[in-house]
Amino acid sequence: MAHAIRMPKHRWADFVMLGFYPPLWKIPPVKRATTYRLMSLAGETLRPLEGVRVLDLTRVLAGPFATMILGDLGAEVIKVERPGSGDDTRQWGPPFVGSESAYFLSVNRNKKSIAIDMKRPQGVKILTELAEVSDVVVENFVPGKLQQMGLGYNQLSGVNPRLIYCSISGYGQTGPQSQSPGYDSIASAVSGMMHITGPEGGDPVRPGVAMTDLATGLYAHGAIMAALLHRHNTGRGVHIDCNLLSSQVSCLSHIAANYLNAGKEARRWGTAHESIVPYQGFRTKDGHIVVAAGNDKQFVKVCEVLKLTSLTQEPKYKTNKLRVQNRRELINLLNQRFMEETTSDWLRRFTGSGVPVGPINSIQEVFADPQVKHNDLIQAMNHPTAGRISVPGPAVRYSSFCPSEATPPPLIGQHTTQNLDRSG
Amino acid sequence: MAHAIRMPKHRWADFVMLGFYPPLWKIPPVKRATTYRLMSLAGETLRPLEGVRVLDLTRVLAGPFATMILGDLGAEVIKVERPGSGDDTRQWGPPFVGSESAYFLSVNRNKKSIAIDMKRPQGVKILTELAEVSDVVVENFVPGKLQQMGLGYNQLSGVNPRLIYCSISGYGQTGPQSQSPGYDSIASAVSGMMHITGPEGGDPVRPGVAMTDLATGLYAHGAIMAALLHRHNTGRGVHIDCNLLSSQVSCLSHIAANYLNAGKEARRWGTAHESIVPYQGFRTKDGHIVVAAGNDKQFVKVCEVLKLTSLTQEPKYKTNKLRVQNRRELINLLNQRFMEETTSDWLRRFTGSGVPVGPINSIQEVFADPQVKHNDLIQAMNHPTAGRISVPGPAVRYSSFCPSEATPPPLIGQHTTQVLRETLSYSDDVITDLLESGAVAQNEVS
Repeated sequence: MAHAIRMPKHRWADFVMLGFYPPLWKIPPVKRATTYRLMSLAGETLRPLEGVRVLDLTRVLAGPFATMILGDLGAEVIKVERPGSGDDTRQWGPPFVGSESAYFLSVNRNKKSIAIDMKRPQGVKILTELAEVSDVVVENFVPGKLQQMGLGYNQLSGVNPRLIYCSISGYGQTGPQSQSPGYDSIASAVSGMMHITGPEGGDPVRPGVAMTDLATGLYAHGAIMAALLHRHNTGRGVHIDCNLLSSQVSCLSHIAANYLNAGKEARRWGTAHESIVPYQGFRTKDGHIVVAAGNDKQFVKVCEVLKLTSLTQEPKYKTNKLRVQNRRELINLLNQRFMEETTSDWLRRFTGSGVPVGPINSIQEVFADPQVKHNDLIQAMNHPTAGRISVPGPAVRYSSFCPSEATPPPLIGQHTTQNLDRSG
Repeated sequence: MAHAIRMPKHRWADFVMLGFYPPLWKIPPVKRATTYRLMSLAGETLRPLEGVRVLDLTRVLAGPFATMILGDLGAEVIKVERPGSGDDTRQWGPPFVGSESAYFLSVNRNKKSIAIDMKRPQGVKILTELAEVSDVVVENFVPGKLQQMGLGYNQLSGVNPRLIYCSISGYGQTGPQSQSPGYDSIASAVSGMMHITGPEGGDPVRPGVAMTDLATGLYAHGAIMAALLHRHNTGRGVHIDCNLLSSQVSCLSHIAANYLNAGKEARRWGTAHESIVPYQGFRTKDGHIVVAAGNDKQFVKVCEVLKLTSLTQEPKYKTNKLRVQNRRELINLLNQRFMEETTSDWLRRFTGSGVPVGPINSIQEVFADPQVKHNDLIQAMNHPTAGRISVPGPAVRYSSFCPSEATPPPLIGQHTTQVLRETLSYSDDVITDLLESGAVAQNEVS
């Protein structure tokens, strides 16, 4: 990375910006933390987390997803893996691309890998020294495990009081379930997510991708940045507790509030909405279409497009409330009509109607979508052994900088020597 | 909020910390932005976003969810609503708690509400002045809409170059679909989420809560803080583009990578895992249980607990790979056995086995769970008209501070007068005129 000026983080830089040059004895010692905050006249091309070093002890999905986003924002992410197999997901396939699983490739760009045996004293020593010169540690071990190894928050913040230590677990750092390992599908079940997902009258299912893990990773990436902001004011680090259970329960939002305030239990609705009709998926001749007619005007439009205008005269479908009451009958009628044409036919006919509609896209269809391509959601890069690979790109765009030029997911221990040379 | 010392944000505070007192002429003017960065010797009790002002123009779920988290972290969130009905979700019920919908209550704590008619010039003027003294604007209008009203990024960053402007939309600020309004269920369909969710061999369904909206809100809250960090270095704001489509597609992670790299299409698996067996939900006598036996050792344990030890001798179930190949038969056998006892019986028998298991909890069961209570996930507070209410609490905990003491979700226009008077220093006469003209509205409760 090229930077115009590189300055120590401890305030001297501020002075320089304003034309003051205080005597060196006034500057707090910089020996402890060798990360630098960047000050540059060409500030706009820098990314928010340039100069931030993240020591990443996480494995699988929630943690790596969070640190990947930090890497996209310019942080240096050092992924610590055990020698040999490393992160379990390296073996999670097929499919594999060369020797790498697609799973591992999908969430590990922009990181370096160092292979360190944490069970040995030399390994613990190296990681402690790395923590001394890092800004953030992220870990997802069962609570207490790292403490036993000498790498817990108390221990590492002792050597680096500015350290932000983010723990990701299944259920929390303390409490009756804290020792249970975190698995997305169990957490999804325990937190109520499965109970509310599935066909009406059918069995619960889980979201097709591990949304509980991913939501936790998203909470964690925000929390780490909140802690970095906090540190600007306090000069100190913090221990962050993120967990699958809390993340998913918080995400229950109105479903939870319905129960907590009105005792109203939730149930499964398939693709439908409990209180809006018609607002769901319909089968077509060759697939499905989702229609979201949120008010009476849009319902009339739906009837026009379907050439079922008689329905607009029907008193029992006049308002949303009535349509909800008489939903079964109405949905049957609409169902039959939708089955008569193909999805693309319907999409065409709904164009310009003002009614929100969309196809239920397969993954192939998703990546053929012009808006998906426009949003740069296919991120391609060269991998040293797997060749040309593609992963889903960063979700958020900024007007003043681009996400990091993606470096490919590392091979196990690819950067071990490089890192030890630098910090040693 | 009580603070030990309150200082202007423009570096003078740093000098004070180090014992320097530079002449005032050296300090950049603070008239434009009246937000302050807080420096306190008791720094630990302050929250990360104390002193940050967020002007919240969002409605429904994704935006309000994001700004709620910023409020939990100490930001001052000013929610702008149109006079009369305000945020649509105020009416989304039943259930209602008093006059407030449970929906609205669930994602709007720690905010003030001002009722401003954005279609009138006085309304636009007020919002422009508020943007001048705010750190962040968050909005979820169809791209271009606010620009037409004079409240777009270009316009507001012109009056406040430090402004962080976060746009949340359905599909993005530009591109062929950018003008389509964002609905979670459509975005969930278009982005592939529905295609991969549902029973094996059955129809697609959507996640039971709007995870696409929520993921977008989570991306946005992080992006806003990234922009605040960025501003420390650059001194400038930025325009952020968050949208439902990109958020959900990015969350496809390995499902997407399977397709992009190996052409492998995804399908629906119910509660099961494509490549691990047994790793799914089973019906019990009175409900369901989910078992996640990730390796051969755990499979053996499952057979022991189920008293089906003969299965461990069966060659075709010896390794995970073989179990995946012979899954239908094996799952049937396990299914039959699980049906013979209740969920709580099975949970008891699996205790100490080392196999991850869990019940499929109803919402009632979720909030009876001791760990959920331990994690403070039921956040209760007093609401001026609805009385005692409860909402799901913040998900993340920090060792050095607690989330904001929750102020209840505001009534529509509850804080209009307060904000005009205290934040913009409007005189009482001016405020009275605005109220009479209808450009702004004040709730009878303040």
